[in-house]
Amino acid sequence: MSRRKPYAPLGGAKETKLWKSAEERNDREAARARAATEFMPGAVEDVVEPTADEAAARLGRRGFMGFGAATAALVSQACIRRNVEKILPYTKAPEYVIPGVANHYATIIDTRGELVGALVESHEGRPTKIEGNELHPMSGGSTDLIMQASVMDLYDADRSDSALKSGKKVAMSEVEAAIAAVLATAQSDGGAKLRVLMRPTSSPTVVRLREAMKARLPHARVHTYSPVSEGNIREGARLAFGQAVMPLADFQKARVILSLDCDFLQTEQGSVRASRLFARGRKVEKAEDTMSRLYVVEPGSTITGANADHRLRLPARDVEVYARALAAELVAGGAEMGTVKASLGAEKPAGAAEKWLKVVAKELLANKGKSVVVAGRRQPAQVHALVNAINTALDNVGSTVSYAPVADTTEPADLAADLKALVTDIDGGKVDALFIVDGNPFYDAPGELGFKTALAKVKTSVHLSAKVDETTEKSAWHIPMTHELEAWGDGRALDGSWSVRQPQIAPLHGGRSEVEMWAMLAGVAAKPYDVVRDTFRASAATPSLFESAWSKALQTGLVERSNSVKFDARASFDDVAASLAKLKPQGAPVGDSNVEITFTSCPRMHDGRHANNPWLQELPDTMTKLVWDNAALIAPKMAKRLGLKSGDVVSLSRAGATLEVAVWVQPGLVDNSVQLALGWGRTAAGRYGNGRGFDVSSLRSAASMGFTDGVKLAATGKTYDLVQTQDHHSMEGRPIALDATLEQFRENPEFAKFRSPTPKTLPLWDRQQYTGHKWGMAFDMNACTGCNACVVACTSENNVAFVGKDQVYRGREMHWLRIDRYYTDDDFTGDNKIEGTEGDQNLPGNPPVIFQPIACVHCEEAPCENVCPVNATAHGAEGLNDMAYNRCIGTRYCANNCPYKVRRFNFLNWRGEPMYGDMPETEKMQFNPNVTVRMRGVMEKCSYCVQRIEEGKIGARRDGKTLGGNDVVSACQQACPSEAIFFGDLNDPSSKVAKAHKSDRGYAVLADLGTHPRTLHLGKVRNPNKEMMG
Amino acid sequence: MSTHPIKELGEVALTEEGMTFHDVTETVASVTERSAPRNWWIALFIAASFAGVFGAAVGYLVWQGVGVWGNNAPVYWAWDITNFVWWIGIGHAGTLISAVLFLFRQKWRTAINRAAEAMTIFAVICALMFPGIHVGRPWLAYYMFPLPNSMAIWPNFKSPLIWDLFAVSTYFTVSTLFWYVGLIPDLASLRDRAMGMTGKFAKVRATAYGALALGWRGANRHWQHYERAYMILAALSTPLVLSVHSVVSFDFSTSVEPGWHTTIFPPYFVAGAVFSGFAMVMTLMLIVRAVYGMKAVITMKHLELMNKIMLVTGTLVGYAYGMEFFIAAYSGNPYEKYVFMNRAFGPYSWAYWTMITCNVVSPQLFWSKKLRTSIPVMFAVSIFINIGMWFERFVIIVTSLHRDFLPSSWGYYRPTAVDVCTYLGTLGLFFTLFLLFIRWVPMIAIAEIKGVLPQADPHAEEHGDHEHHDHAAESDAALAPGE
Repeated sequence: MSRRKPYAPLGGAKETKLWKSAEERNDREAARARAATEFMPGAVEDVVEPTADEAAARLGRRGFMGFGAATAALVSQACIRRNVEKILPYTKAPEYVIPGVANHYATIIDTRGELVGALVESHEGRPTKIEGNELHPMSGGSTDLIMQASVMDLYDADRSDSALKSGKKVAMSEVEAAIAAVLATAQSDGGAKLRVLMRPTSSPTVVRLREAMKARLPHARVHTYSPVSEGNIREGARLAFGQAVMPLADFQKARVILSLDCDFLQTEQGSVRASRLFARGRKVEKAEDTMSRLYVVEPGSTITGANADHRLRLPARDVEVYARALAAELVAGGAEMGTVKASLGAEKPAGAAEKWLKVVAKELLANKGKSVVVAGRRQPAQVHALVNAINTALDNVGSTVSYAPVADTTEPADLAADLKALVTDIDGGKVDALFIVDGNPFYDAPGELGFKTALAKVKTSVHLSAKVDETTEKSAWHIPMTHELEAWGDGRALDGSWSVRQPQIAPLHGGRSEVEMWAMLAGVAAKPYDVVRDTFRASAATPSLFESAWSKALQTGLVERSNSVKFDARASFDDVAASLAKLKPQGAPVGDSNVEITFTSCPRMHDGRHANNPWLQELPDTMTKLVWDNAALIAPKMAKRLGLKSGDVVSLSRAGATLEVAVWVQPGLVDNSVQLALGWGRTAAGRYGNGRGFDVSSLRSAASMGFTDGVKLAATGKTYDLVQTQDHHSMEGRPIALDATLEQFRENPEFAKFRSPTPKTLPLWDRQQYTGHKWGMAFDMNACTGCNACVVACTSENNVAFVGKDQVYRGREMHWLRIDRYYTDDDFTGDNKIEGTEGDQNLPGNPPVIFQPIACVHCEEAPCENVCPVNATAHGAEGLNDMAYNRCIGTRYCANNCPYKVRRFNFLNWRGEPMYGDMPETEKMQFNPNVTVRMRGVMEKCSYCVQRIEEGKIGARRDGKTLGGNDVVSACQQACPSEAIFFGDLNDPSSKVAKAHKSDRGYAVLADLGTHPRTLHLGKVRNPNKEMMG
Repeated sequence: MSTHPIKELGEVALTEEGMTFHDVTETVASVTERSAPRNWWIALFIAASFAGVFGAAVGYLVWQGVGVWGNNAPVYWAWDITNFVWWIGIGHAGTLISAVLFLFRQKWRTAINRAAEAMTIFAVICALMFPGIHVGRPWLAYYMFPLPNSMAIWPNFKSPLIWDLFAVSTYFTVSTLFWYVGLIPDLASLRDRAMGMTGKFAKVRATAYGALALGWRGANRHWQHYERAYMILAALSTPLVLSVHSVVSFDFSTSVEPGWHTTIFPPYFVAGAVFSGFAMVMTLMLIVRAVYGMKAVITMKHLELMNKIMLVTGTLVGYAYGMEFFIAAYSGNPYEKYVFMNRAFGPYSWAYWTMITCNVVSPQLFWSKKLRTSIPVMFAVSIFINIGMWFERFVIIVTSLHRDFLPSSWGYYRPTAVDVCTYLGTLGLFFTLFLLFIRWVPMIAIAEIKGVLPQADPHAEEHGDHEHHDHAAESDAALAPGE
């Protein structure tokens, strides 16, 4: 680099005579000397000629300019704005999309293998929240907890984003070419060595494509497997009616309900509808109102059992004996059951008091046509057949129970046997290619079947799955599966209603849907949209009306009259009798040396497919209040006998399989029956699900998918940390969650107010009058079943953070809404004894349970507001206790002074460090844009869904209407399947919440503090039978 | 001049008999002039290390959030506020000794008032840390000040935390002023002594002390103004002794929490504060007395009087503990009853019984003259009281919060390593400041001590023997530095 040299006269040239003054011209030297002394010494240093070194160090003009330029460049570099990431504006706005205004689209969501109609809230094309579809009979506008959480499954950061070949990423075209080659080869022998393993389906399109595939490859076999199946119910119906149908009980109409190991309020299919009807059947407002009575016979701890008026603890194995003995009692009482009578036997269930047969039979007979008996899916088919016979004999069919045809009539009854057949074939070398369409059999197949070793023997295995899960890791090929919110599809709900599944968003990670996979196998080239339309078109009555019917189905989320087919035949007593005769006799009774284990669909994880959903991981199980784990639940009596306490690890062993699992001492279980929830202990679920809880499928076998006895339990001396959100179960005699029997309610409808009175002291100041809107809420504890849907709904709506097991252990969970679960000291069944004296063993045996949903109650005289030093929480004009997050500095004084302890503090930055690193981008997409995401150091709590209130007010103003008292629906209220939550304007006397506040059962929790809460609780009413008590 | 107290006038020796003005100046001032003893350096090293730990712990806290502590729901306040109240309590003895005892003409206070005041200031500094750092977003803690802002939001003057902020900062300001005003004549003494010194830093010393002495020349007029200012500040400080801890107690007593919502809190807290303050003064004085050989100035008489105060306040506190239980039982309020039973027999009963043993039982030893004049006993008891008073705050805060109204929300609190480091760190900070104080500031009020020497009495000569002496003995220090 050359630097320009300043101009200088050539060396040696004569100095030009230049002068500035006459003196200088005359005497140059003298003038210079004078100039040097012109200023004070030191004032001008420059006159001193610099030495050579100094001159070298001195910054010249050019140097200065260079330095200055570099500084400017560096400074401007440091202050540069972040890279501009251009986003494309809607130059061509999609129709109906208004920025800031959410759209809702109808679709169906899979929950526990059942399809329920839903409305998906979508912000600028981004689904953020799932609501129920009011028009859908299985939803009625509400949802369950898995549906609420499914939007998080969509944004699961660990979803597979690429096709894989032996674990390496490949292009989708490569997989498709490989599949085409396999299919081409298969065609030569009619697909004799090709197998497909699928999950049970209710999709007419999938069924149609499957049949098309079978037509193309006549020798190919399709196997169906799911770790939790309705096979026993279907088979029970087939035994009784000669046809696989699904029973649908009307719990509203039924006055007496007997549940035989059936958790119809949560883990069984149809729970959303069941919860609504059940709650409606138990509404009491006036003394003359009646309510249904629920008897539950079950081994474990379920929310259905918690809602029972009388609950019998019986090993799952003995439920069948009970059913037979009850049937015999019914026959003795005059019920007509034909030949069934002869095959019932005379066995009586050990451990069930005589009244459990006599009184229950008497009640059922007295309520002929108004009663219903339901049995759980894990009970053998014969029990279901017998239950169908009992319902027939009690004239309940067509009245309180109806039957709906199933979508897939060819589904085998015993799915485990079907999988076993596949394994046998693989072992016999009869399978070259295996397509696994969704499902995770490597993880959830019963250990005894040996599927794990069999899978490795298949030459070409293709796994379609959303994740690189346990099965994917062992498969040759993997195709990422789209989420149900990303793809076209269809399906039938439990009652036969047919709905179209609409994609809500383009697939985030590419991939193929179930329909596309089947189309590929069937050789159908059409796009999934057309494939689904083709199914619909084929069944449309009038082809000319197809388009309008299609758009109506999309709009309403339901194909009209698709559920009109009802099957109300009477059970064939002869067939039922024949099936009962085939029942194997029971072996040794369940006892100290013969422990029973039962497998339940996890209330949160179902069969493990939601294991990587942090909302569900952090959701406290309603009964145990455990988070981030499952455990082996044991009765306090058993714990006492074996000297076990919660968190001790035991080993369970049967038939060669051993499992080490932590125990949890849970009231309500029958002695010697261990309750195990499926769906945990995943190893390849993703960042949130891996290594959480215990995988119990190794103890299962094809013959005992639901329960088995003959298990040995031994303590190991190890312990495991189990974390729960509520570790105290007694109300300590305080008037908090109040209940009464129906009799007591009739005597004193205001029993709750009476126990929790508002103080009658003179106010020190005039209470604020609310003349505009006056928002309020009510929780009806009589309707609340404890299903947890509201908690997930609140999490989803309000961007509530999850914090992880360790932080929950420290008591820092963030749920704005929680369901407190208390045990009461009442004893309606005569067996609620405290089993032990120490620690975990000091728990009641069979306690009545009461659920109390509680969120911020928006006190009119709020203790939190007075103490905030910075006015960050203050009262709004409509009575809301508002949080100004920007103003909050986090003194936490408000939370200390909140008697309801509903405030939640961001102790750390939950959205990034320290839990799992920065929040994945996809998870951020779930955020509700109308709700602030709170930073660390800020207090938060239930806002009464203020964003929805504002949205409602804006809408009303825009439309020139007044906002009605019921027009704003809070997220929890919307989700609640049992209509237990009321929200609205208390100043509108016609609003549901205003009526609820006037209810006799209404009371304010901790009213004696004078907080004047805006949320009231409505006392629970139980309906015990006097003959059962004592 | 008599160097002995005039027994006929009821005078008692407040210093060792035979001390002269010069002895006093020499004893006190030389500490700041000699090179520091080796033990001082060791102590400073340890204390400063802990102060460094405090810095690291607070840095980590601010970076990560309050979650690095063990605080949780429902125990939203734990060691943070426990430490805050404990330090504030310790900061009480200073004002009490300086102001209240001054107004009551309790001359024995002169031996300990300077150090006690310094201790007050340092304790309040430690205390004031906590409201700042314990909040979730410390960088916004200034929202608590009534600063005009574009959002037009004022602090919430209904909040006891705001009262607290004003009470404590007022207390800090007044205590600092009071301490400093009292220091002026002594700083002048140091300045004057430095003027005559030679050495590397003599000039720096003279300049620094000179600046701090504000031109004090010991003139009569100076003394007049000084005495008046001191009196006014003492009068201003006296209500603060009662108000500060009353206001701190409002943080709890105005809430609805059972165990907090108690009218006995203001007097109970004040008594506890005086109790813990004296205990801390005792701990420090015993160390200083031993290390610097100040037995002549801080006599057994002083120590015994302080022990008597501890006995009184300790018994008052014990009465309050009992009264809380009585009121809980008498009120019939189930929440209140439960909280107190839970304190004594619940999961934190160990903390409760530690508190009772330290605060109520241990001071009872002082009924015995022999024990209250035994240095080892009083040292041990003062340490017990320091521990017990920390536990008192812990018991009040944590055991009330961990089980309040709704059993569903009950919890348990465990501290983390950061909690422990923060607490030990404040001790480090406190001792660092205190060590620097005894190194550079006259730790005993020279001028005041001289005022209580027998020879300062105007009637000394009537009973004394020989030569004439200036009656305005106090000015002696400033006028005759070289004496």
